[in-house]
Amino acid sequence: MKTPVIELPVARFELRCGARLLVSQRPGAPVCAVSMHMRGGHSLDPEGLEGTAYLTGGLMDQGTERHTEEQLAALLERSGGGLTGDAHGLSGSIASPSWKTLLRVAAEVLTRPTYPAAKVRRQQRRVIDRLVLDLQDPRTRADRLFRGLVYGDHWLGRSTTGTPESIAAVQRRHLVTHHARNWVGKRLVIAVCGAMEPEEVRRLLDRELATLPPGEDLAPREHRFPARAQRAAAFEAEREQVHVYLGHLGIRRADPDYPALVVMDHVLGTGPGFVNRISRRLRDELGLAYTVHASIYASAGVLPGTFQAYIGTSPRHVRTAIEGLLAELRRIRDEPVSAGELGIAKDYLVGSFALSFQRSSRRAGYLISLERHGLPDDNLERLPRQFAAVTAEDVQRVARAHLFPDKCVVAAGGPVKVGRLRQILRAASRPG
Amino acid sequence: MSGSRSNGRASLGGAAISEHRLQNGLRVLLVERHADPVVAVITWYRVGARNEREDEAGVSHFLEHMMFKGSRGYGKGEVDRITTELGGSNNAFTGYDHTAYWFELASDRWERALEIEADRMRHLNLDPTEFDAEREVVLEELAMGNDDPWRRLSQLAQAALFMRHPYRRPIIGHADALRGMEVGGMRDYYRRFYHPGNATLVVCGDIRPRRALAAVREHFAGIPAGPGYAEADCFRPVPALPEGERRVSMTWPDRGSRLCMVWPGAAVGTDDDWTLDVVSTALTSGRTSRLYRELVLRTGLATSVSTHNDSRVEGGVFWLLAECAQGVAPEKLEAAVDAQLLELAAKRFPAPELTHVKSVLTSAEAYESETATDLAETLGEFAVDADWHQAVEATTRLRAVTARQVQDCAQRLLLREHRVVGWCLPRQEVATQSARRATARRRHA
Repeated sequence: MKTPVIELPVARFELRCGARLLVSQRPGAPVCAVSMHMRGGHSLDPEGLEGTAYLTGGLMDQGTERHTEEQLAALLERSGGGLTGDAHGLSGSIASPSWKTLLRVAAEVLTRPTYPAAKVRRQQRRVIDRLVLDLQDPRTRADRLFRGLVYGDHWLGRSTTGTPESIAAVQRRHLVTHHARNWVGKRLVIAVCGAMEPEEVRRLLDRELATLPPGEDLAPREHRFPARAQRAAAFEAEREQVHVYLGHLGIRRADPDYPALVVMDHVLGTGPGFVNRISRRLRDELGLAYTVHASIYASAGVLPGTFQAYIGTSPRHVRTAIEGLLAELRRIRDEPVSAGELGIAKDYLVGSFALSFQRSSRRAGYLISLERHGLPDDNLERLPRQFAAVTAEDVQRVARAHLFPDKCVVAAGGPVKVGRLRQILRAASRPG
Repeated sequence: MSGSRSNGRASLGGAAISEHRLQNGLRVLLVERHADPVVAVITWYRVGARNEREDEAGVSHFLEHMMFKGSRGYGKGEVDRITTELGGSNNAFTGYDHTAYWFELASDRWERALEIEADRMRHLNLDPTEFDAEREVVLEELAMGNDDPWRRLSQLAQAALFMRHPYRRPIIGHADALRGMEVGGMRDYYRRFYHPGNATLVVCGDIRPRRALAAVREHFAGIPAGPGYAEADCFRPVPALPEGERRVSMTWPDRGSRLCMVWPGAAVGTDDDWTLDVVSTALTSGRTSRLYRELVLRTGLATSVSTHNDSRVEGGVFWLLAECAQGVAPEKLEAAVDAQLLELAAKRFPAPELTHVKSVLTSAEAYESETATDLAETLGEFAVDADWHQAVEATTRLRAVTARQVQDCAQRLLLREHRVVGWCLPRQEVATQSARRATARRRHA
């Protein structure tokens, strides 16, 4: 099937502050979007002060040397705009005619945040309140338990938002120090998409970010993760459904098997509708769930993501659900996928790849990933060709190399006990 | 999203809109915009939870599921398989006043969506085995919603607000009704409402209108018109204003204290509807809004607050949701909300604030036309619930709202005596307090 063509021109610049800038001009776009990605994120959280990076990014817009929080908000809101920050940077959008306002405000909060003490305390209280409720939410807890089981003590196993205790320990000076040390030009990638001229964007941002110190890029670090093995954890809570997360350590985006794994995912457990095996079997045939999916490619990053399968199901179905998920992992390793399934997955990926770029924010996010993962500018044309070249043998090979049904962790939240999960996992393992 | 009408031509978000009607009553909106090589096709039926009889509660949503389970030309799962092969997406959604089926496909293959929709508009299988299997999926969806305290609380408040009208029921229905539902009843419902005379087809994006209309005729012109709406629709009482404030409460196994206030809102497209959009924006949209500034930023009584003007065909709901900061007494938050609402009703709405709110609303419309699907949704929803021209005139209608209207809406609609106040409180704390009270009573006795 023919690949629909979509134009996504990219102009690249290096700003004087050391930041890399990618601009995609899109004449007539009603919305302008910006994404500013700061390398490091919550990996830079000091021990005991987890959540520092999150608060540093999240509280940038609470006031600057020039404007109060309310003034900053008013500048953006009157043009339908908004800006949010987190551990990994800032992102926002605005109606196209006001794109300069968006970029100026983004640059201002990035370079000149003052972290007013009262506002820091207020936001801390809000985050703690949120975390207290999250800690009692079975789905959130199960997801966090899953990450802990997969990543162990590595920072990827921790929540970016920290814990109520660590957030309470963070003080204003920690945020100021974190910002000064880590929010520097050489760690910054900026993507802008909208109707504006790229050169005009460069000039504006060069000027507005002139005071951002270049600093140093992050030095390479060694990463260790726990070996893949069966582990289980549960958050017991009185609810109607059990949220089950099953999986293990996944892949990096740079993995050469990435295109074949994307195809495998679409046969196995992701994609639109309910044509993948897991949805068809567990949802359509067995009626176990409304929501069920699985993917290894979706979380692939600079560091390994996870293979994660999820199902929300009634307590009486937990065993059938886990057994069903594991059976599908084994099947895709043991048998070549049919020509029909392979064809559907490839047709979808080839045909749909370019269609998801209607929103400016999606384009800006894509440009960030292009830069972070060192992908070629013609990735939009190249990747569909790679999908089209994947064979049934490729799918089976990558399934065997990257899926480990006998070394899965299971984390669940809801009316379920960890002992039961362990017992289900053991029983579902293959002898030997 | 700037819209305009001139010389009989309408445009919205840079797209040219034309309306057509086939002899069997099918209304067709063609929306031409070539920004991306994408076409959204949404088929809207003027039927939703509002049209259900008591014994049919939840059937609209269940039927939406069954529309993917096989028709004469497309077996079970075929719709998803074909959509996927075409590199597209599909979905469906059910509301109180409408049900809609959505495709997004590349512009060289979008016509396949018409074939599918025409087939399942006339020839849905409703196989009893599939019906029973899908019921289990719907029950799991219901269970998922039941685990969401906000959903439970809002359903409780809405039930108290509408009392006898079908708007009181959750769209998904109730477990007992779903378990008792039979395929024959669903078939009757399908025949009553799924036909061209009760449908609006919106085709939006990279199309050639003449060619698109010919394709629509080719697939839909042969389908019989079906019964008239008045004949198919059931009797229901007009939503009545609550007499006196009603209070409802529930508990939840966490430490959150959640507030849900509801008032009878506006019918879609009325002056009150546009004015309530302004009111909602003034109260909770962004950090400069009144309630957010007061409750979250200044006093820290709430961790979140939002309002929503949920206008519906027979009069909607104005929602206010807020979550207490930990340690804040619910009464204190409620009193602070009341003080802000009283001020809105008591004082003339300041001109600079009105200007700001209008610019927030009109600028935000850019997002509502960003994709082909956004445009098709906006136009289709207005078309089915009121008149699609309202979408085109949105900026004009919003700009026409006056300070006097804002104050009048607050005085007339956001009244204490016509509202329902719902609280969801921490189960543990409520249990502890009840135990203390019981102990105290025993001591006194």
